[in-house]
Amino acid sequence: MPAPIRLRELIRTIRTARTQAEEREMIQKECAAIRSSFREEDNTYRCRNVAKLLYMHMLGYPAHFGQLECLKLIASQKFTDKRIGYLGAMLLLDERQDVHLLMTNCIKNDLNHSTQYVQGLALCTLGCMGSSEMCRDLAGEVEKLLKTSNSYLRKKAALCAVHVIRKVPELMEMFLPATKNLLSEKNHGVLHTSVVLLTEMCERSPDMLSHFRKLVPQLVRILKNLIMSGYSPEHDVSGISDPFLQVRILRLLRILGKGDDDSSEAMNDILAQVATNTETSKNVGNAILYETVLTIMDIKSESGLRVLAINILGRFLLNNDKNIRYVALTSLLKTVQTDHNAVQRHRSTIVDCLKDLDVSIKRRAMELSFALVNGNNIRGMMKELLYFLDSCDPDFKADCASGIFLAAEKYAPSKRWHIDTIMRVLTTAGSYVRDDSVPNLIQLITNSVEMHAYTVQRLYKALLDDISQQPLVQVASWCIGEYGDLLVSGQCEEEEPIQVSEDEVLDVLEGLLVSNLSTPVTRGYSLTAIMKLSTRFSSVNRIKKVVSIYGSSIDVELQQRAVEYNALFKKYDHMRPALLERMPIMEKTATNGPSEIVQTNGETESTILDTKHLPSITQPASQANDLLDLLGGNDVVPVIQTTVPTKPASAGGELLDLLGDLSLTGGPTPTPAPSVPMSQPPFLLDGLSSQPLFNDIAAGIPPMTAYNKNGLKIEFTFERANPNPNIAVITIHATNSTEADMTDFVFQAAVPKTFQLQLLSPSSNVVPAVNQGSVTQVIRVLNPQKQQLRMRIKLTYTHKGSPVQDLAEVNNFPPQSWQ
Amino acid sequence: MMHFLLLFSRQGKLRLQKWFLPLPERERKKIVKDMTTMVLARKPRTCNFMHWKDLKIVYKRYASLYFCCGLENQDNELLALEILHRYVELLDKYFGNVCELDIIFNFEKAYFILDEFLMGGEIQETSKQSIAKSVEASDMLQETMEEYMSKPAF
Repeated sequence: MPAPIRLRELIRTIRTARTQAEEREMIQKECAAIRSSFREEDNTYRCRNVAKLLYMHMLGYPAHFGQLECLKLIASQKFTDKRIGYLGAMLLLDERQDVHLLMTNCIKNDLNHSTQYVQGLALCTLGCMGSSEMCRDLAGEVEKLLKTSNSYLRKKAALCAVHVIRKVPELMEMFLPATKNLLSEKNHGVLHTSVVLLTEMCERSPDMLSHFRKLVPQLVRILKNLIMSGYSPEHDVSGISDPFLQVRILRLLRILGKGDDDSSEAMNDILAQVATNTETSKNVGNAILYETVLTIMDIKSESGLRVLAINILGRFLLNNDKNIRYVALTSLLKTVQTDHNAVQRHRSTIVDCLKDLDVSIKRRAMELSFALVNGNNIRGMMKELLYFLDSCDPDFKADCASGIFLAAEKYAPSKRWHIDTIMRVLTTAGSYVRDDSVPNLIQLITNSVEMHAYTVQRLYKALLDDISQQPLVQVASWCIGEYGDLLVSGQCEEEEPIQVSEDEVLDVLEGLLVSNLSTPVTRGYSLTAIMKLSTRFSSVNRIKKVVSIYGSSIDVELQQRAVEYNALFKKYDHMRPALLERMPIMEKTATNGPSEIVQTNGETESTILDTKHLPSITQPASQANDLLDLLGGNDVVPVIQTTVPTKPASAGGELLDLLGDLSLTGGPTPTPAPSVPMSQPPFLLDGLSSQPLFNDIAAGIPPMTAYNKNGLKIEFTFERANPNPNIAVITIHATNSTEADMTDFVFQAAVPKTFQLQLLSPSSNVVPAVNQGSVTQVIRVLNPQKQQLRMRIKLTYTHKGSPVQDLAEVNNFPPQSWQ
Repeated sequence: MMHFLLLFSRQGKLRLQKWFLPLPERERKKIVKDMTTMVLARKPRTCNFMHWKDLKIVYKRYASLYFCCGLENQDNELLALEILHRYVELLDKYFGNVCELDIIFNFEKAYFILDEFLMGGEIQETSKQSIAKSVEASDMLQETMEEYMSKPAF
């Protein structure tokens, strides 16, 4: 069989291949030849074949069949074989293969070889890829070599020991004696590797750390010699003597000085010296300065030294070299927490880095800028950050937008500024804003009561320009739905109010529904907004039409909403005004119910859960006092209850907590009185009470007539709220048999102390004549002690032009209603 | 410590791969692919540092070769640039005006030089002369044996 081709020959041949397929063919041919050669157990050419295999492996082709051959090469006596064998072992074998353990014996022998270069090969291989088992077996040999006087072997043994410790930390103790006079070496290679070994030991073991603290003076001395010594051609790099060793020593000093006053003090001088004397014109000097700064910041250095360090970083920021600027920004980011004021001094330079062309630098500068924002510089910083947001890469926009929102929330100087900032972010980077910012923004807008008109106007104008950015569109639809009345009435004080008609607004919202740019979530928002406008606008018919169209939408979510809103128009029309009232102020706490639900539904119509802080009732006090006076008696519970709930509501919305805390609302309440959350039909809120809260049909409890006088008849029908049998739900039906309407009809009720009562909004305040219709109103009574239900009612209305008032007591409640 | 050192051409062809951590073959291939993609995508005047997973990546271009290494968080990036430069100097001294072809045709020598400079991801020797001497001596050992055996080296 002819001799296998030489390595260089093969490389040359493979490089002539013009296509991947051609190359593959050549390689397959050669692999076949190599395989047969291996089978023949040919010692002479094994080395050559393995070398070729390694080349093909680098090109990406499989070479596992050469693994055993590497072992045979290592076991050979020839140096060439060993060299290639160990190289192959490092490239093809790793601790995952069982084969590698077979190396252990060979390595052991080679560690004791007479030729130092063979020992070197063994140490190198062990130190690069030795597994834990191998390290355990051979640690003793390594330790022996660590004590040899041969500096070539000593330095390799030191790094091998480092590897052993990384793999098997328990063996660290073993190397302790050998470290005794490592630092008294003159040879830089040994010094360097010794420092690495000491560093590794100190990082892993606090005991070692305290043990080696005594080396600080020696390390300081070595460092000093390096700096002060003259030109040494062997270790010089651009005029600096052995920068690699200097950096390594600085790093070890950092570990030794951290948290220890004495050590830190011992190194103060040398650190100051390095910081001031190192040549900064080349990268190598800056590398040393960088390490020095890191050390100064980590140990207990005196404040003068710390200021010096930050100033060095500040100088780095102005350096032409991008790498140095990047490194400065990274380090400042680490120190901004501890030395905030010092870093603030360099704020303008940092902000300038936002305009750098380099992507890595821009990102660091952005992170650092956010860390530096505070109450004093918010306006200036925000201007820069918004400008940055406009022009930065899309990868940054999401992070930048979130950062801006956070900063604005913490330090906004005024509500108007805050809203303007949000608007700016939404319009410039609207599609990159994170999903959870939408509910947060809505909450913020709701809470800035005086800015509602301004906000809705600006959002409306933004929508006219661009409907592609979904978070912007979602927030805008929500606001228009909520404050549309302010929009059409042109009430804006902050800027020139725009003239917009109801139809125009509805056009925009309907446009969102049909647009291809709108996501399903956005469509949900706009449909709900349109629905809400039914109580704020007068063009109810148009809204009814839109809602009924979407009752047959393919999108199930839209369909469900439309059907439910349709039902609102038809069966529950009397509840619609109460349902669609203005939102109350929401609490800003993170664990608040609304925000949790908001994230799951994507909607913020969850006032039913806003139980943490019920707004106090704005009911005029006189009304209640009148009732109290009229009803007299001490056994009647005060009508107004302003108790704040003592336990927070869970996200599931315990309806019963609401009941316990709500007080009487008298009669129809004008907007924006606090909306009464109970009146929402349960099917809009998943996971809550499955039973309808109200049921006109009595569920087994007979209705009763509570009052019948002067043509006004009031009937009570009953329903139990199933989650809690202590709650009786009473619906009153007021009918008028006279020939004239009863207008301004107000129904009020009071119950004894042991009960709690909640009166919801009536369907209307006109009881039509001749029994043409009725006014319905819902009362919920909590009766925990199951006492007999009694009630005093007061009726006021205008009949034929004159006001009528009447009081009555209702005692004839059927037993089932309160038992 | 350095996790890996890669050399690749402007076309993304790998010329040298040194791994200081045990990683499965599949993972190594992925890292090589990621590194080549990331580094080759960089614009000309950007800084030499990047972030990848939890590693700092330092790269430098010398003629038609990219030298790319992966460092841990506490390692000094600026010094890593010096380490890469030192390796290039060593190659240059050995081959005399080293170019990519030298490394292609003598890749095993490039590894031998590297193994005298770095070990386990750390620097072994800071003196250029010392490394050059060791490599020379090892080469002599190899040649002597070959002459003795009167067989050509590979």
